[in-house]
Amino acid sequence: MANPEEAVDFEPEEDDLMDEDVDASSPRAPMPKLKSAITGGGGGSSASKKIKGRGFREETAEAERNARLSARFDSLDSEGGPGPERSIEGWIILVTGVNEEAHEDDLHNTFGEFGEIKNLHLNLDRRSGFVKGYALIEYENFEEAERAISEMDGNELLTQTIHVDWAFSKGPFRRRNVRRRSPRSHRSRSPRRRF
Amino acid sequence: MGEMAENDEFYLRYYVGHKGKFGHEFLEFEFRPDGKLRYANNSNYKNDTMIRKEVFLTPSVLKECRRIVADSEIMKEDDNNWPEPDRVGRQELEIVMGNEHISFTTSKIGSLMDVQTSNDPEGLRIFYYLVQDLKCFVFSLISLHFKIKPI
Repeated sequence: MANPEEAVDFEPEEDDLMDEDVDASSPRAPMPKLKSAITGGGGGSSASKKIKGRGFREETAEAERNARLSARFDSLDSEGGPGPERSIEGWIILVTGVNEEAHEDDLHNTFGEFGEIKNLHLNLDRRSGFVKGYALIEYENFEEAERAISEMDGNELLTQTIHVDWAFSKGPFRRRNVRRRSPRSHRSRSPRRRF
Repeated sequence: MGEMAENDEFYLRYYVGHKGKFGHEFLEFEFRPDGKLRYANNSNYKNDTMIRKEVFLTPSVLKECRRIVADSEIMKEDDNNWPEPDRVGRQELEIVMGNEHISFTTSKIGSLMDVQTSNDPEGLRIFYYLVQDLKCFVFSLISLHFKIKPI
């Protein structure tokens, strides 16, 4: 079934995902649809999951939720596809790995170098009162945000390595991108991956 | 432990609401495996406003959400001994992470006092703080992207 010539194509990737153990009965392993994710023991990829909680035992709640979530949701006009998405007044980046003792000034000093910071959210852990570990920063221009990402991602801030990336995307991301980065999953026994 | 699970599937939904003289008022948000964040807030008080927004997140944002969940260790808890949803309100927290799927329900929690006096203060406290941290994360994302005040 695996065609060696299209090893980089989507097809083999999805086959690959289907190899996932236990799930031989599941017709669709690759992209868990919302439905399978929330119907509990009802089939799909959830069949093999350990489930827990009273929420699985209430059918009326489930019907109501499906009705609520099937309504139309507004979004900003987007072209779809890959790449960062512009927010209504600018470009938002996410900084993770932020030291729990960081102050807004620390982020202003570091990230202000790439352009004027229009907005900064440095949220706190509600239990401890320390910084939760992430910051959201808004720049007016794409170039400012892009420079902040390329120059600060993987750098150190207050003795911790931070990661910097866009917050919003024009479209859905494919799970295969995520998988590429860490080849050591239990699925790696599939020979097709190496083509 | 978060590292290893990085490419497993992840889904999260939180709901809080009640039905009263202003109809069904609720707040709900959802992180989907493909990166879509959905946010709904229906408040009928004074003027009926239904806010429904959705936006795609980058994998980095989803990963941070997942880290917050993993650090909380909510997946180890159980809602068995939590106060049941009642007339005053209802909360639901549903999470799929790795090969675990939880769907917890409980009443509204007014304050830490409610947590303390419950039959499972430790578990409920984890839930209570996790929900606040998640709301805080979602409100920041939604308000920065759409420039609306989420509440």
